[in-house]
Amino acid sequence: MLKKVLAVTLFLSGLMFSGGCSEEKAVSEADMSSSSRDVFAMDTFMNMKAYGSNADIALSEAEERILQLEEELSVTSETSDIWAVDHSSGAAVDVSEDTALIINKAIEMGNKTNSALDITLYPVLKEWGFTTGDYKVPDDNTLSSLLKKVDYSKVHIAENTVTLPKETEIDLGALAKGYTSDEIMKTMEDNGVSSAIVSLGGNVQALGSKPDGSNWKVAVRDPFAPDTDMCIIEIADKAVITSGNYERYFTAEDGTVYWHILDPEDGYPADNGLVSVTVIGDCGLDCDALSTALFVEGYDGAVDFLRSDPSFDLILVTDDRKIYYSSGIADCFTNISSMEAEVISLD
Amino acid sequence: MTKGVKLLIGIVVLIFSVAVVFAVMGLKKSESTWVEIVQNNKVIYKLDLSEEKDRTFRIEYPDGGWNDVQIRDGHICISDADCPDHTCIKTGELRSENIPIVCLPHKLVIRFSDEGAGK
Repeated sequence: MLKKVLAVTLFLSGLMFSGGCSEEKAVSEADMSSSSRDVFAMDTFMNMKAYGSNADIALSEAEERILQLEEELSVTSETSDIWAVDHSSGAAVDVSEDTALIINKAIEMGNKTNSALDITLYPVLKEWGFTTGDYKVPDDNTLSSLLKKVDYSKVHIAENTVTLPKETEIDLGALAKGYTSDEIMKTMEDNGVSSAIVSLGGNVQALGSKPDGSNWKVAVRDPFAPDTDMCIIEIADKAVITSGNYERYFTAEDGTVYWHILDPEDGYPADNGLVSVTVIGDCGLDCDALSTALFVEGYDGAVDFLRSDPSFDLILVTDDRKIYYSSGIADCFTNISSMEAEVISLD
Repeated sequence: MTKGVKLLIGIVVLIFSVAVVFAVMGLKKSESTWVEIVQNNKVIYKLDLSEEKDRTFRIEYPDGGWNDVQIRDGHICISDADCPDHTCIKTGELRSENIPIVCLPHKLVIRFSDEGAGK
């Protein structure tokens, strides 16, 4: 008996110590040293962190890639692909492979989400002032005449050549950052980095797991208190991308709040019951496009999508302050808010 | 039950509770009071908020512009700035390790730092 108790004692104390030591070890090993880089681009604060001996080179190359993509995809830079397409007056324009790939994805995602994602909404977004910060509620006549030119199915793309109808303009704001984080991950891998994490204005993508083999802990913001975290999810090799009504909004004189995610149906802020949509998946571009589209579609549309494609995971927050998350992340989801959280039922 | 067994059970309980106390202390430690103020990837200040006196100081942006950083009761925020959007001021006090205070036009970031926390 005495021996047994002694054994248990030793075992327990061993357990304690091993638990305490592993983290210390993780910090001290040389190949686990990390480098971090801030990039101010695409109207967003980006932070990249990479581990291992090639981290610095990888970060520098990733930064170059970000600036290159910004140059191609910017809607305001007069030398960008998008500027050329938007000022083409109906003529065909040759664009980079990046731009062509994103436009094709935008059309595909529009088709998959009942046209909830529409890259031709740009003139309407401008009218609301969401592109400049000079906010105003458009009058109905202006809105309806602008909406006549909104239809992504009229965007014609063949290989790298894009043709838009006259007066139609596109912007890839709903997809550009997701594509950028995919490309950062590629640059990291090409440079031999196997552990890295980036945050592009709160949208996170991770390469591999942490150098000690544990998962990355990613926080999702509370849409009702955007300076605090709502939940933590643990991921490896995934993108975690959120669209929320708190990201860009203004309050009109009558007290109504208008946010930047517009419904292509009526050109008004999408108000279908959701205030935040987080999409978790392997591809940042897909997740970014979907987070916007499913925000527009609302809870039922988002759940329908999940049924049709269970390869993604979702965290939905409804305007009555409830969190719904898909069963795929049930084991790695921690609610740290005061809201109730429940698993999305697909039955 | 012999005295020895009782003693050993006592030791097990003691070790367990000590371990729990250390685990909790360890957790607290990681909630850093250290912050770093970074301008375009250069760390220009590293501060322990638990030690800092209440004060406000100005950070100039080399290409023109400024932000006033305020430290009060162990909290840090940007209290004033000449940037056009004032997003940095609206962010308020730094609270989350995941949400830094950022002034995009002045490439200024204030965030919790895990280094310098003194192990």
